[in-house]
Amino acid sequence: MKAQEVLAGLKKEFGAAIRDATIQKNENNMKKKTVAERIWFHIGRKQLHDAVAYLCKKYPDPHFAVCSGYDLGKEIDILYHFTVNYGVRASEITITMHVLLPKKDAVVDTITDLIPGAIISEREMQEMLGIKVKNIPDGRRLFLDPSFPRGVYPWRKDETGPHKLIRNVHGGDSK
Amino acid sequence: MTLEKKENSYSICVGPVHPALKEPVKLNMEIDGEKVIGVDFELSQVHRGIEWAATRRNPLQVLFLAERICGICNMCHMLSFSRAIETIGDIHAPPRAEYIRVIGAELERIHSHILWAGVAAHELGFDSLMHYTWKLRENVLDTIEYITGNRITKGLITIGGVRHDIPEKKIPRILESVNFYYSHFDKMAKVFLNDPVIKSRTRDVGILSRRDALTTCAVGPTARASGVKKDVRKDEAYAAYQDFDVEPILPDAYTGEIHGDVYDRVLVRLLEVKQSAEIIEKAVKSMPKGPIAWEEKPAVILAKLKPLVGEGIGRHEAPRGEVIHYVKLVGEESPYSWKVRAPTYNNMMPWVPMLMGEQIADIPIIAASIDPCMSCTNRAVSADKTTTMYTMDQLRRLSFLKTRELKRGLGK
Amino acid sequence: MIDLLVARILMIVPVTVLGIFIGLLYKGIDRRLAARMQARIGPPLVQPFRDVKKLMLKENIVPRDAVAWVFNLMPFVALASSIVLLMYVPLFGYPPLLEGHGDLMLVLYMLMFPSLALVIGGFASSSPYATVGAQREMITMVSYEFPLAITIVALAWLVSATAPGAAAFSFSAITAIPVWHLVGVLGSIGLALLFAVIIFVTTGEMGEVPFDSAEAETEIAGGLLSEYSGRNLALFYLASAIKILVLGSVVIALFIPFGISGYAGLSGIAGEAADIGFFLVKLFIVMFISSTFIRVAAARFRITQVVKIYWGYTTMIALLGLVLIGLDIFMGVI
Repeated sequence: MKAQEVLAGLKKEFGAAIRDATIQKNENNMKKKTVAERIWFHIGRKQLHDAVAYLCKKYPDPHFAVCSGYDLGKEIDILYHFTVNYGVRASEITITMHVLLPKKDAVVDTITDLIPGAIISEREMQEMLGIKVKNIPDGRRLFLDPSFPRGVYPWRKDETGPHKLIRNVHGGDSK
Repeated sequence: MTLEKKENSYSICVGPVHPALKEPVKLNMEIDGEKVIGVDFELSQVHRGIEWAATRRNPLQVLFLAERICGICNMCHMLSFSRAIETIGDIHAPPRAEYIRVIGAELERIHSHILWAGVAAHELGFDSLMHYTWKLRENVLDTIEYITGNRITKGLITIGGVRHDIPEKKIPRILESVNFYYSHFDKMAKVFLNDPVIKSRTRDVGILSRRDALTTCAVGPTARASGVKKDVRKDEAYAAYQDFDVEPILPDAYTGEIHGDVYDRVLVRLLEVKQSAEIIEKAVKSMPKGPIAWEEKPAVILAKLKPLVGEGIGRHEAPRGEVIHYVKLVGEESPYSWKVRAPTYNNMMPWVPMLMGEQIADIPIIAASIDPCMSCTNRAVSADKTTTMYTMDQLRRLSFLKTRELKRGLGK
Repeated sequence: MIDLLVARILMIVPVTVLGIFIGLLYKGIDRRLAARMQARIGPPLVQPFRDVKKLMLKENIVPRDAVAWVFNLMPFVALASSIVLLMYVPLFGYPPLLEGHGDLMLVLYMLMFPSLALVIGGFASSSPYATVGAQREMITMVSYEFPLAITIVALAWLVSATAPGAAAFSFSAITAIPVWHLVGVLGSIGLALLFAVIIFVTTGEMGEVPFDSAEAETEIAGGLLSEYSGRNLALFYLASAIKILVLGSVVIALFIPFGISGYAGLSGIAGEAADIGFFLVKLFIVMFISSTFIRVAAARFRITQVVKIYWGYTTMIALLGLVLIGLDIFMGVI
């Protein structure tokens, strides 16, 4: 299985919802060459759930690695990292889906109905980036202490960020 | 996951401070008699804000910050971060460096697995075995110290290569260490796999079915013990692993069957110690000649990394499972975003199916069977409960005062 | 007669002090030996004494929800009952201090007291860990009581069959002639089995690994004792130290009451000293096998396994021993 085929299949299914698709190749420098292929693309938040469902159907048991995310000013970018085709030598493919959420309406559908293990990541995204995951089965705090102030999101870079809480550590604002 | 109360049931919390746990995590259990009927866990006891700190440092500084994420498998975070940066910049470490990376990573796997075996023995109340295994572990730590100068935080890896070479004269010592583990493997396997008491405490305890392992996204030995063929060393064959034909170890290789229980997780880790020793032996004997780094001068590395724009993923099979780092660079001195995913993060959800219906007596060994590493998993900025916030200087002053007070108490 | 009683009462204090001293010293030896077997250096021999001294100085904390008076009373009950036990067992080859006021049956019941005090204290401390520990301790007690009772009944039967008219359960009757002299080959095998059973039961009585599920440090954080601190904990510690001496003395009295002075041809003070020394050696052997060795060589059993082992295997062996001794007695009669 090649990353090209995987991406083509996804494009065929979701058409224009997939944007900025690229395939990044990470080649090693050894005598026996291996290439780790990474697919990156943006997908609309409405299609995210369908895309994950498609992956689950087409490549049984895709491994959901983690969600990462960051603040882009007006928007929040959430990345869903999957890997498929594991168990075969040097041909695992990493699929990363960017989902852009406007800050004013940062809501995304849960994927825990498809992959129950994603709940830790979804809970983390909720408390770290202040997004809202719709239909999450358990939305309690997980990584932040109960005493951590509400309305402060550690990964935000705007006024709701943690800057006021950090003084003189890690080069934070000293005032 | 929220706990449901039942008539006659009561709750017990294991942690955040508990003799069975080496790091803080809180497991809330709903218990009926001696049986577990509900499982929930709370993190948030280790606050460090490492990812946040990284956005204020340059990549070479982050590299050493990454090493301090975990006290046991620190090299895996360095390696994953380097690989993420290398993917963005299309940088290739020379072959010799890739070999040294593999040797370092496998030495780390041996020490981590043996450390875990000792902890597992302690959880079972078998302290003699704990002392025995930890004595065996000293050998590999000495070897690591001999190669890199440190026992644990090796500082071996840099972006695009490694920082220390392994000269020809140091190779016999490594081979000696490999032989040491070959010769002690049988005895360890005999004790851990055939001792009747240990077997009765681990066999068919804390079962994680293959299906549960897949849906809860388990990684590493936890997933492999349940029969999931998943090992980044094979799947991605990064660094020099392509040359060693690494095969994921499943428990049926030894016993012919897969139960997905604690016994299988012990078994997989023990066999991986042997596998690592074999990889090290091969790697040491066939190390290619050549440079050990893409670029040696830190200033030059930084200058070349600064203009990079893009995002990358670095993965590595750490002793506990897959480590994955996501890095986004935007042409500034520090990374725009850095996300660390340590294996315990994914291996926590499997706790729920493993612990359900088990006895209280088995909670520690089941909880330990995923080899939890909480400092790898927790992340947050430093917060405090009251309005008082101490600065570094104030804290230093307070500690001076305390020392003085203690000295007075001692009459000095 | 009254003088004798007064003398006995006067002896209580020195015997108690001696019991505590020997118990703590043997705890020290035990820890040291266990450490050596685990490739560690281990603490100095006086460590248990230092521990008690330190605990006595420490603050005594009573949990908010605990039943304070029961919680504070139980350590005293445990220590007091252990000291009373010491008066009823033959020490150093001498008859028990309170000889004639109670026999082996009393000791058998009294042995439950320190454990019972622990259980009640555990329940009173309101901690869920202690509650689980207390439940487990009760189950363990019930489990090892059965094989222990069989062993003692077998011995009493043997004594009463061979020496009619003697008080079968009194220590003086049992120690008068070592039981091994009363039986033939079959009976010897039976006695050996019972000896193994009682050694195994002693491990459970002392609450050592593999039968320490009531205290299981890595599971329930010390269980019964998890809320005890300071003076209360020190009292429990002393009680367990005395229990070592009590249990050891019972085993010695039942199975190895031999003296050495007769064989060595010593008499007078030298003979007495030799016998006391020999008693300490026997005590050490019993303690070493039943506590140190088993503890170092095994992992902790689950509570269900403890019950299975005591009620299943150990009881079967004890019954087998009883049957063999019975056969021996009948053959002797015929």
